[in-house]
Amino acid sequence: MKRISVLLSMVLTIILLLSVMTSACGPKAKPEQVLKVGVMTPSTGPVPEKGIPGQHGFADAVTYINKELGGAAGHPIELIWRDSAYDMQKVGTIVQDFMDAGCLIFATHSSTEMKAASGKSNEAGFPGIAAFISTINLHPPTHVYGPTPDYGDDWVAFAKYYMENIWKGPGKPKMALHGLANPTGLGARHGAQAKAAELGIELVDIAEHKISTLDETVSLQRMKDAKIDVLFISSTPAPTAIIIKNARDLGMFPGITIGCAAASFGKALVDLGGEAVEGVYGIAHMASWDDNTPGVAKLREYCEKNNPQDLYNDDYLHCWTTMLIMREILVQAVKNAGYNTLAKGGKTAWKAVEEQGIFKLKDYTADGLVGGTVRYAGGGDNRLNNYLRLFQVQSGKIIPVTAWQEAPLIKYETFDWWGK
Amino acid sequence: MTELMQYTITGLSLGMVYSLIALGFVLIWKSSGVANLAIGQLVLFSSWFTYGMLVQAGLPPWLGIPLVIIFALMLGWSVERLALRPLIGQPILSLIAVTLGLAYFIEGLVGIIWPKSLASLPPLFPQEPLRIGSAVIRQEFLWAAVISIVLFVLLSIFFKYHRMGIAMRATADDQKAVQACGIPVTRIFSQSWMFACVLAAVGGIRISSIGNISKAPLVEMGLKAFSVVILGGLDSFLGAIIAGPIIGLAETIGGGYLSKVAWEGVREVIPFLIIIIVMIFKPYGLFGEKRIERV
Amino acid sequence: MSLPTGIRNYTYAEDMAILRTRTHWVLLGVFLLLLFTAPLYLNDHWLGIVNRIGITIIAVTGLNILTGYCGQLSIGHAGFMAVGAYTSAVLTDRLGLPFLASLIFAGLSAGLIGMVFGMPSLRVKGFYLAITTIAAQFIIIWIIEHWTEVTGPNGIMDVSPASIGGIALKTPASEFYLILAITILTVYGAKNLARTKVGRAFVAIRDNDLAAEVMGINLFRYKLTAFFIGCFLAGLAGSLMAHTSRSISPDYFQFKDSILYVGMIIIGGLGTTTGPILGVVFIRLIDEFVTQLSPTLQTAFPNLLPGFTSGIAPMIFGLVIILFLIFEPRGLEHRWQLFKAAYRNWPFSY
Repeated sequence: MKRISVLLSMVLTIILLLSVMTSACGPKAKPEQVLKVGVMTPSTGPVPEKGIPGQHGFADAVTYINKELGGAAGHPIELIWRDSAYDMQKVGTIVQDFMDAGCLIFATHSSTEMKAASGKSNEAGFPGIAAFISTINLHPPTHVYGPTPDYGDDWVAFAKYYMENIWKGPGKPKMALHGLANPTGLGARHGAQAKAAELGIELVDIAEHKISTLDETVSLQRMKDAKIDVLFISSTPAPTAIIIKNARDLGMFPGITIGCAAASFGKALVDLGGEAVEGVYGIAHMASWDDNTPGVAKLREYCEKNNPQDLYNDDYLHCWTTMLIMREILVQAVKNAGYNTLAKGGKTAWKAVEEQGIFKLKDYTADGLVGGTVRYAGGGDNRLNNYLRLFQVQSGKIIPVTAWQEAPLIKYETFDWWGK
Repeated sequence: MTELMQYTITGLSLGMVYSLIALGFVLIWKSSGVANLAIGQLVLFSSWFTYGMLVQAGLPPWLGIPLVIIFALMLGWSVERLALRPLIGQPILSLIAVTLGLAYFIEGLVGIIWPKSLASLPPLFPQEPLRIGSAVIRQEFLWAAVISIVLFVLLSIFFKYHRMGIAMRATADDQKAVQACGIPVTRIFSQSWMFACVLAAVGGIRISSIGNISKAPLVEMGLKAFSVVILGGLDSFLGAIIAGPIIGLAETIGGGYLSKVAWEGVREVIPFLIIIIVMIFKPYGLFGEKRIERV
Repeated sequence: MSLPTGIRNYTYAEDMAILRTRTHWVLLGVFLLLLFTAPLYLNDHWLGIVNRIGITIIAVTGLNILTGYCGQLSIGHAGFMAVGAYTSAVLTDRLGLPFLASLIFAGLSAGLIGMVFGMPSLRVKGFYLAITTIAAQFIIIWIIEHWTEVTGPNGIMDVSPASIGGIALKTPASEFYLILAITILTVYGAKNLARTKVGRAFVAIRDNDLAAEVMGINLFRYKLTAFFIGCFLAGLAGSLMAHTSRSISPDYFQFKDSILYVGMIIIGGLGTTTGPILGVVFIRLIDEFVTQLSPTLQTAFPNLLPGFTSGIAPMIFGLVIILFLIFEPRGLEHRWQLFKAAYRNWPFSY
């Protein structure tokens, strides 16, 4: 017994030493001519259901880029992936890891991770993109970019659609918000705070829930008593399904109109909600899996081959597309600044990626994975694409009800409630 | 008044789900004095196994659920045999830390076997909600309550009258004395873990059919169970079964009325305030065994 | 036992000395030299990890005083860190206080909040006490999430870097020296605290509170002192975390961190000074190891099962904890003592 324990402690020490050595030396001994991209996903921790498909989406996109597109402007992309475990303290060390390893740009899966990462990355001018972006990441504009519109835009787009097509009654419709208690829910709340009065909507209740919620009868009962006409949910599919089911049990829905922000909506919601989510509206920032475009066809091909369990998963799609947009940024950066500038690494390279890559983005369509084009608009708009579409669940299928439309920029930083 | 009725019914039914998980916690505490920090992960594991049986293998519930129970028994046995047995006689805190390691281990294992990470179980009970007066309740909640009460009765009888149950209580009290009496302590631990895993599995099936199988709610349940057992008294089944609904009611009634005057999300903290106040008056929980100390 | 062969204590001062022999001094010197030159041989990423370890050591040392010495179980230490972090951030950014002043205020505020939640400890013991500290964790985080007038409009605050005498400590290396200095002070303070009247009172309370009371120790006062000191250190750690990560949100202080801190002191060895340090270093390094392992595996074996790369990290993390406890249930500190004893007695081990 004693000998075993001595042995074990020795083995552990060796493992620890090795880990220090491998990771300290690892990134330096890589062949030249690659473009390094850092990516973190919350693959373990409380939200693996979002992180794992996202991780696969990023990885498969890199395989596709290097195999079929010849990398970015002839240079293969090297993916440096880390599992953030949704641990915000860890996010800080991971960003540092990316910067040390010579990454040119990095991506996070969620807006929450990006917020924690930007403490370090913004100071160094290290450009970052979050596959799911929220208002607090983009305002005021920093070195953080969004591949899509944010959750605030979702609220505005849904509210406009509601006022134009659904609301028939006199007076103002009463709306309630149900948001996740993090940047995802906050984004929708910001959109509502900024535009509700202008659109003629009365906000009667702003509820929030945890990702671990089991039952939201209490908050919905409150909304029922307030006689709401419309409910907007900004969350992830699992809590959204629970809220909608509760609303159905309470006899509120069908009856009221329910709209969802992009992260709440998708095939996952239909799977979880079943019949209960029939008629629910939702926003999508990117193409749907059923679209008939070459970009979606490639996406399906790789997903079916490598990760069939992620088929129809929107996290996979978002992360795949985000990676393609990052490739386009690097293509522009190599074209305009030259590989040698990027190879210098550090602040020079990050500045080049931002000014010669991101700022030069124009007319990129990602083969139909996004609406409109990916471009840099400037003027405080860090959303690289501002198109979104409204969908509705109709007999178990997600059907688009509007064409792609542009989401106008809202300058949140000019409102006095924005703080600072 | 309508809303009060609804809050009460939701609170009671939610609370019975908490009780179900709490029973498993009390069981292990009662027989070995170990606080099982991995309870949420055990719930998670058995929920995914249920998914594997009912959805992936496509078995009907009457065959699938007994298989889940058998799996839970095996899981409990192996957890005890491999992780806890080697630590018998060591400081109790080390055993608790082992359950912490176990929590991470099971989490990783589940992630490897089911990378899908989000799924729903086929409905096991009719989806049509029942109406009680003006309030509605989902049948799943009702069944969860019935199952908790049945399990509570069975466990209480077992611990009070069955030889093994009495032996388990004795073991919790004094391991060395029990061993000296010739009671096989190891077998008792093994069985209590097996039972606890079955309770976790039953709880897991209930919770994942109410919500869905995703990690956060299932793991959070372990924490809720912890609050429930402390309010009820760590070593009392009756405490667990009564404290669950108290916490559920605190959440719904407190949350429902106070959220107009307090910040949103107040329902998450009201149970804790109540527990602290109760603890000051009853330091061993509502039904916990008082220990008389002498110097 | 704790002295090398042939060395005896002749005076009380000798008996009380922490560093007894010349070898001790040399070893300490070498160790400190290694620590202070760390930025020379560690890159920024590893310095970041070392900084995180340092911050955790400060917090866990506090927890060890509370739980390890005084026997009051706290599963809400991350919540007390949050108090410190937000106090410090608000004081420096909103009220413009210098960093060092807000560091102290961070500690004091966390300590006071800790005392409030420590009140029930007079009646409530053991695991029952755990619930008040769990409650502290959730209530504090809830307040931070919603008291947005103070804690930032979005529940998230951008924090300015720490600055001392007008010099902003922005780089990982400068942060490292700040954290190292405070960590050393903390550990030194904790080591000495344990040998004072207060420390002995804590141990007496832990071992048998009734007996302690009969001996004339004011239980309430000493328990609250333990809560104050434990949470004061958590507050310091929180403040350092806020100023080094530059942005804080309630997500930084999760319940699972509180549980992990308790795990760290158990694995390190309760009620010793080196134990928590060893525990923190062990857990954090294993954590970093598994974080690095998954991507390495993914690159090396691209055709692994989906989910394998992400699942393997917590699995190994858990497995190491389990195996470690099975083989060394008394904690790393115990192993360290055995090693020292073996070294002293060598080659005459019996």
